[in-house]
Amino acid sequence: MPSPRFPIPQGTLDMLILQILSLEPAHGYGIAQRLEQISQSVVQVNQGSLYPALHRLEQKGWLEAEWKQSETGREAKFYSLTRSGRKQLVVEKDSWARLSGAVRLIFDEGNRS
Amino acid sequence: MKQLLNWFRRRSLESGLDRELRYHVDRRVSDLMLSGVPESEARRQATLEVGNLTRVKEEVRDVWLTRWLRDFVYDLRFSARSFLRSPSFTATTVLSLALGIGATTAIYSLVDQVVLHALPVRQPERLVLIDWKGDQVANGFGSWNLMSYPICRDLQLQDRIFEGVICRAATTVNLSTGGEHKPAAAEIVSGSYFSVLGVGPAIGRVLGNDDDGTPGASPVVVLAYDFWKTQLAGAPDVVGRKVLVNQHPMTVIGVAASAFRGIDVGQIPSLWIPAAMSAQAIPGFQDLLDRRTRWMQVLGRLRPDVTLAHAQVGLQPWFKAMLDEDTRRAGFPRITAERRQRFLTSRIVLTPAPQGHSSLRRRLSQPLWVLLALTAVLLGLACLNVAGLFLARGSAREREISTRLALGASRGRIGRQLLADSLLLALAGGSLGLALAPPAMRVLIAFLPRDVAANALKSAVDSRLLLFAFLVSVAAGVLSGLAPALQAGRRSLISSLRERGGAALGGVRLRKIIVTAQIAFSLILVVGAVLFVRTLTGLLAKGPGFDTSSLVSFGLDPRRNGYSPSQASQLIRRVHDAIHTSASTQTSALARFPLLTGGSWNDPMTIQTDQRLTTDRDVNLNAVSPGFFATLGIRVVAGRDFDEHDSRPGVEAGRRSAIVNEAFVKRYLGGRNPLGVRICEGSGPDAKPNIEVIGVVADFSYRGLREESEQAYFAISQGDEAGGNFYVKVRGTPELAFQSIRTIIHNADPALPIANFRTLDEQVSRSLNTERMLATLSSAFGTLALLLSLVGLYGVMSFVVTQRTREIGIRMALGATGGSAIWLVLRDAIAMILAGTAIALPCVAALGRLLESQLFGVKPTDPVTIAAATLLLTSATLGAALIPAYRASTVNPTDVLRFD
Repeated sequence: MPSPRFPIPQGTLDMLILQILSLEPAHGYGIAQRLEQISQSVVQVNQGSLYPALHRLEQKGWLEAEWKQSETGREAKFYSLTRSGRKQLVVEKDSWARLSGAVRLIFDEGNRS
Repeated sequence: MKQLLNWFRRRSLESGLDRELRYHVDRRVSDLMLSGVPESEARRQATLEVGNLTRVKEEVRDVWLTRWLRDFVYDLRFSARSFLRSPSFTATTVLSLALGIGATTAIYSLVDQVVLHALPVRQPERLVLIDWKGDQVANGFGSWNLMSYPICRDLQLQDRIFEGVICRAATTVNLSTGGEHKPAAAEIVSGSYFSVLGVGPAIGRVLGNDDDGTPGASPVVVLAYDFWKTQLAGAPDVVGRKVLVNQHPMTVIGVAASAFRGIDVGQIPSLWIPAAMSAQAIPGFQDLLDRRTRWMQVLGRLRPDVTLAHAQVGLQPWFKAMLDEDTRRAGFPRITAERRQRFLTSRIVLTPAPQGHSSLRRRLSQPLWVLLALTAVLLGLACLNVAGLFLARGSAREREISTRLALGASRGRIGRQLLADSLLLALAGGSLGLALAPPAMRVLIAFLPRDVAANALKSAVDSRLLLFAFLVSVAAGVLSGLAPALQAGRRSLISSLRERGGAALGGVRLRKIIVTAQIAFSLILVVGAVLFVRTLTGLLAKGPGFDTSSLVSFGLDPRRNGYSPSQASQLIRRVHDAIHTSASTQTSALARFPLLTGGSWNDPMTIQTDQRLTTDRDVNLNAVSPGFFATLGIRVVAGRDFDEHDSRPGVEAGRRSAIVNEAFVKRYLGGRNPLGVRICEGSGPDAKPNIEVIGVVADFSYRGLREESEQAYFAISQGDEAGGNFYVKVRGTPELAFQSIRTIIHNADPALPIANFRTLDEQVSRSLNTERMLATLSSAFGTLALLLSLVGLYGVMSFVVTQRTREIGIRMALGATGGSAIWLVLRDAIAMILAGTAIALPCVAALGRLLESQLFGVKPTDPVTIAAATLLLTSATLGAALIPAYRASTVNPTDVLRFD
């Protein structure tokens, strides 16, 4: 029996979206696929909740969107990172690194004793 | 902001989202089918994965526009649609709110301009007015808060407290920029004025400390921007031009920045003259460096690290030392020990002065606050009116609301809808009110003396006013919508659905409360109106105490045109002789100071009878020519008028004579024969009472109509009349007399300007402009308020009668008379009127204190006034209630019973 998938932790979805888009522009479906692949089906993303997040990031000015032809020939809405989005990604990565570093420290402390 | 924009492009956003989601699902389906899943199964799985699409969409919409805002916008749209469906209701409510908001905005605009607005200078909040509390042992001229020029110089050295100190005095000069000589408002200022205020030039340069050195050595002026634009057509080569100030040539060195209009909102200067040139700017003035002449207002800019309290404390050591030094200076007058004590215990007082210094503010701020309070009451009344109309509409919408409730709308949601209704109306009313405000402001400004107000006050709407109107509108909207919204939340759902006609009794109770409040508000306004009208009519009926008909006056000051005192005196003499013998003149006379302008020459006096006594307050003084009292028709009640003998040139000191008024006799000579008593100006030990009282005249108004004061008159001696005010009793119409007087003066010197040329009737009316403004506006408000409450009472009573038609019909069928039906309805109305009156009367008493200073001859709690106002209101409102009551009495029982 495969281990159950984790629901994505609160607040990390935005960071993941920014990270995926920092590689190349993508449409919503593409981002969902990429999330599935990268997380190797460990993290479960409710595909519906992707869209409010995308629109929120767009509203904040971190993403910009454009209707373009997709690989199947149909028009799809492609999102890409803006300059301030890039900055935001750096900020979020940094704070994530600090948080996970802190958590590891606490765990290490526990192991030593 | 971005969110609000989204509202306007929500259609394209929606279709975009639809496409986006459809693409997602379709891609998933085709991907699954590629991996071998049959189509129906693929579609099912894709739909499952993406989740509840409606909810996703709703979440995205929340991102576009926050939920409550979105709902609110929908509410507003719904309200707008329902208002368009009932145009008469909408028009009535919008109009009443527009009247209230427009009036409040207009008056607030004046309050803002006159009282609240900070000067357009650098950091106005750090400006303070420096004033002397106590006895300065000095002679003064000018308005208020006066000190000497040397004190300003002393203060400039207190640089641990002040960044800088300025002094200024307003005056009028004869200015010629090429052709004609015209009187122009000027500000005499210290060299520090512009740099301390932080005002720069538009062109050229402004005055600096170098321009305020040796007296008479720096003949330069700075022009005001408006003057430069309007009088000199903005000539670019104005810098370096010579102008004539009182015939003294001075050089224009620059034009001040466009926004700056001096520090007195009521006296906009056309030019600034350095204090060093004050002898040229004020003919005959030689006291610039005299410490005992107070004539300038002194303002300072506090250092950033100094608070007002610290500054005040920090100044006292310097001030005490200065007082001490002053008493030992040569030329310090000999004064009584008591007065010396008053001098030495004087204090220096600082008050914040971000708005500058203004005598207009001093005069108008109280009446303006009164008016603002009255308009606030009027606005409250308009809100009540709208609330009443809402309730009436609410009972018509009863079923709609009950249905919505039954379908699951929360009461809060319904209440919010009703609030959106009233906010929308209020904003519409506010916009209309804002459109009405500028004409209303023009009307208000027209009440004020033209020369003061016209160039000082604007009727334009600026951003501050816009914000004020917006806030007032929102407040009005909330106020007028609150009652109906609460009401909607309280109704029992089942009972209202069950009722067919819907006898909304709770609504009626609330409407009755509203009408009661309306009656109370109206009574307050009506009482105010009656008080102000009685003040005005009282003052008009009292009059100035002399006969103003066919009386005209004007002023001449030849010294401002460069005449020496003796030349000026000859000219005045010549003009007076010509006017005296003119065919259009009955009689004429001269006075040194004009009447009914608010100001006077005043000083305490010393009186010598069998003992020596000094007056306990200032006596108003004037110097007049023989025939002055006869020209004005003032009765000489004892002794005689001045004659040519009294005004002979160079009369030896012992032979000078004075005339006092009855009030003077009553206060200081009670019972004694005033004739032969000797008096003199001044109260010091060096005052020599050597002027004989030769006559007593009836009391009349000197400074203004309200004042009843002690007055003393000296004879103008020939050769001493270097300037003066002419009083001419004319034959025929004043217009003809104006013509011939103009000709006479033009013949004497074509360059001589005539000041304040007008009839005494006009002068009286000008001196009453504040009273007239208050009386007219409060009457208008009172009438409006009365009408509003009549409509309100009529509306609610008709509604009650309609609702109770059945009940009344049954009563009549059972034998009740028409009279008892009338009573049934009237009883309610009387209860409301009585309750309203009971609420209003204590409010009137409380508000009375605000009004007191504006009234004359009537107390704010005057019983006759209040009784009259109450009677007026009661009879009018009863009249309004009688119409529906009469309708109740004509109810035909058979019709009513059959109708059911």
